Amino acid sequence: MSEVKEVLELSHAVRRAWIRSTRFKVGAALSSFVLLLAILGPLVAPYPSEGMGAVPPTAAERTGRPPSFEFPMGTDNLGRDVLSRVLMGARLALIQITTVVAASLAIGLVVGVLAAYYRGPIEVALNYLTEVFLALPAIVMALALRLALGQGFHTLLFSLILSWWPWYARASFVYARSVVEMDYVLLARLAGVPDRVVLLRHVLWNILQPVLVQAITDLGSVLLEASAINFLGLGLKPDEPDWGIIAQNGFKYITSMPWISLFPGLFILLTALGFSLLGDALREELDPRLRRRWKLWF
Amino acid sequence: MPLSLSYLVKRVAWSITVIVGVVVLSYLIIILSPGDPAVKWAGHPRGPGAAKAVEQARKELGLDQPLHTQILNFLRMVFTGDLGLSIAYRQPVYDVLWRNLAATLELLLVAYAIGVPLGSFLGVFAALRRGKRVDGVLQAIGTVFANTPTFWLGLAIFMALLPSGFTAYGRVNVSLALSTGFYTITGLYLLDALLQLNFPVFVDALVRLLPPALAVAAYPVGVCLRIGRTLMADALLEEYVRAAAAWGVKRRTIVWRYAFRAALPGLVQVSGLAFAYSLVDAMVVEYVFGREGLGRLLYDAVSVNDFRLAIGLLVIVAAFYLIVNTLADIAQALIDPRVRL
Repeated sequence: MSEVKEVLELSHAVRRAWIRSTRFKVGAALSSFVLLLAILGPLVAPYPSEGMGAVPPTAAERTGRPPSFEFPMGTDNLGRDVLSRVLMGARLALIQITTVVAASLAIGLVVGVLAAYYRGPIEVALNYLTEVFLALPAIVMALALRLALGQGFHTLLFSLILSWWPWYARASFVYARSVVEMDYVLLARLAGVPDRVVLLRHVLWNILQPVLVQAITDLGSVLLEASAINFLGLGLKPDEPDWGIIAQNGFKYITSMPWISLFPGLFILLTALGFSLLGDALREELDPRLRRRWKLWF
Repeated sequence: MPLSLSYLVKRVAWSITVIVGVVVLSYLIIILSPGDPAVKWAGHPRGPGAAKAVEQARKELGLDQPLHTQILNFLRMVFTGDLGLSIAYRQPVYDVLWRNLAATLELLLVAYAIGVPLGSFLGVFAALRRGKRVDGVLQAIGTVFANTPTFWLGLAIFMALLPSGFTAYGRVNVSLALSTGFYTITGLYLLDALLQLNFPVFVDALVRLLPPALAVAAYPVGVCLRIGRTLMADALLEEYVRAAAAWGVKRRTIVWRYAFRAALPGLVQVSGLAFAYSLVDAMVVEYVFGREGLGRLLYDAVSVNDFRLAIGLLVIVAAFYLIVNTLADIAQALIDPRVRL
């Protein structure tokens, strides 16, 4: 029965948060705005092909225009409409962060749960592996992989996944260890329930909730990290409509065309903020300690 | 002492094992990625000396030997500090790394000296006004600060300084440093200038350091504000606070000596972790402000395919992370009587 209760609790938390947490509402508004842009981006962008990096034929007469009614975010050094580039970037940003978080979550959960369930050499080996990858920040990993594999989407994804999964492995190890030590897991094992079932139904299912809430917050952190990598030129190719890349391009012309870097940075901030607020509000709902009644005694 | 020697020894031994893992991993990246490892290690040389350079790299890595010998050989290279000459700088890799690490560390230390106290103080302030408007505003500020892309903040600060006519570019005004006979001792320019009582250089270095440091400080301010607020709000609910209030203990004593004392270990631990992450922020901001430092190495290593520098960076950044975390745990054990290590 515990499975049903867990799901109910999460959906209850979402509903409670929706009713009474301003933070949740702002977060939901921001992240659904970005999601909407990701879906509709190519339709609402005034110049979709420029957004994808194509240089317009009329580039000569419209390079470096400041924000105006015609180009709300100005144009860049090659005459491309920055608004279109930023709008097309929403989809790329969401693809990056959801892929990275989903893959890291999957690896981390498996490693963490296995390490918590099987003691002895497996536990030591998996925790050691976790610790090694934990010590490597994504940017430095991106540098090594950039030199080894070349520039591109795969390099960016690999470096981010390789440096994010250990966080989930560690978190799920801690949660799973406390679940594994509960009596019902012991009883299930004594009753001859196969390991596979115990792992999936009793352990994995019971730790999913806090790890998922963490993953929502992390969507924002991954975006910050990914755009820093792209800003340094270690990730995607220069013409991709990635917000970090656009900011990097604007950095070269920072004194003459500051608007190029301004808007993509703003969108990174709004997106990261949205997911962070969502995750925080949910955590607050799920953790009764954070909701205690409050009175200052002096 | 809540800290035992055997714990320290274990901890250090574990950290060294992790570093060994990092080195092995980076060697596997060189070996397993497509392309000839020797060519990669030599930095894709071109021109008449190319064949010789590749041959040299092949011998350095010992590519004709079995894999485990290669790995042991590579470990020896890394741990004896002999990664060869950096291709970008034509100097030993570790010399380049140490020089630049000092620059990054200076930036980080100043940023944290500003960020952690400021953030913690604001967090305590918010916790004391829990539920009021100030609390909400401060929490919002904290969340925004913790989620601002640092490179963008750096760009914004850089831009904001442009109209003033002062560009915070580089670490120090070179001609000023030369004319006053400034030389490096530790590599931390602020400290060096103080040691030499060279105040013009101190002021110049500080003025150039503050703008990037503020950009890096945004994250610790945000994190410490939020964590400090949560921990402090928890601590203020404890019975001892109520008891102290009933005894008529002064408000300031209750807040700072009792409640904040309970929140402090958590703050130390979180800022230790944040310090390790912020290394990356500092690298990005350095790149924006054209400062010497690990961030510039990152950029230079890519532009000339300098694999040696990249491996050196991987090792040194991993070591930095492990050292900072160990120190944070030790500091926590020293100030928190509940923790015994």
